Amino acid sequence: MHIVDGALSAPVLVSGAVLTAGGITLGLRQMTLERIPAAGVLSASFFVASLIHVAVGPSSVHLILNGLCGLILGWTAFPALFVALVLQAVFFGFGGITVLGVNTLNIALPAVLMGLALRPLIARAGPRLAALWGAIGGAGAIALTTVFVAGALVFSGEAFVPAAKLVFFAHIPVMAIEAVISAAAVVLIKRVKPDLFAAPSAALPA
Amino acid sequence: MKPFILSGLIACAALAPLPALAHKVIASVYPSGEAIEGELGFSDGTMVAGQAVNVIAPDGRVLATVTTDAEGNFSYAPSEPVALTFHADMGGGHVADVTMDQADVAKILGKAETLAAAQAELATPAAAATAAGPAPMSAAERLVEREATAEMLRDELRPLRQEIAAMKEKNDLQTVLGGIGYILGLFGLGFYLAARRSLARG
Repeated sequence: MHIVDGALSAPVLVSGAVLTAGGITLGLRQMTLERIPAAGVLSASFFVASLIHVAVGPSSVHLILNGLCGLILGWTAFPALFVALVLQAVFFGFGGITVLGVNTLNIALPAVLMGLALRPLIARAGPRLAALWGAIGGAGAIALTTVFVAGALVFSGEAFVPAAKLVFFAHIPVMAIEAVISAAAVVLIKRVKPDLFAAPSAALPA
Repeated sequence: MKPFILSGLIACAALAPLPALAHKVIASVYPSGEAIEGELGFSDGTMVAGQAVNVIAPDGRVLATVTTDAEGNFSYAPSEPVALTFHADMGGGHVADVTMDQADVAKILGKAETLAAAQAELATPAAAATAAGPAPMSAAERLVEREATAEMLRDELRPLRQEIAAMKEKNDLQTVLGGIGYILGLFGLGFYLAARRSLARG
């Protein structure tokens, strides 16, 4: 998920940084008072999730949780994930400083897309349907992220099909796990704090 | 370049089914007698086997391509005293670049030359004749002897060195907690600013 320094070409890095800057601006604008704690908690979860490796078969995977992040935060996922990615790069050398823009875009944009598509559906759905949408959001965000990662590699000169295949198949276990976690989280949130999925304008205090 | 990347990808897919893709790449090189040894792996401890590593001179020439063994180790005997960059592309955005600077490479080359000269001297029949018997060791002999001891020491120390490299990559709890602290602090600050703004608005 985290592309390292030196793997991408300059145009890809620059356009990634520009798009991410746009996403962060949009996200900050939508960051309402009551959404800040949620953003902080999700940012911290993302930060920690990448450090915990779970062995799956011959390889090991770690959670990404960007789907859940997008479902709850919408555009605010951009600043939340950006902060976590900066700290991961600085503290642990995950990814790198020059690729920060591209990495944020690859992880946050799928989250935002899932959030935009599924939030209204979750807000309306009953618990069972909400779980389904949550699962789709969790797995879909990872799948989209793998496509984005492959895309970034392609624009830097790698052949698309092998690159995409490699990244996509390596993340199938992650997708399955994230689907379950997102579904569980969505159901829990629907039960205890359903207004978290309400439209941002409705959540604003008058 | 394309065929190289492609073959690298295929090698990756074939030899190490689904390498730990989501992890940080670890690569290191160190002098080992008359050669440079290095290793290639991921932060979760899996080593990359059968991976092509390009040895690149500062002017961009590819001097050689070496392949990692089952434990992710590779070795290269330098032929020119220039800074060497070892570049490996494991596909999926995992690229490793490690450089050994000119001084270190030159030192290895110098060592290789004196050793070769000493071995040549010992190999000549005259030297062999004097070497027989309890006569004190010649300088050449001592050099060969010392090199053998160094080799042994290196073999003994290798696991230790690898363990230290692995330890450096370990994420300790303090750093994780520090990171969480940073995040909470940042969002707390944001919360404070937003709250102040909404209070000022009435």
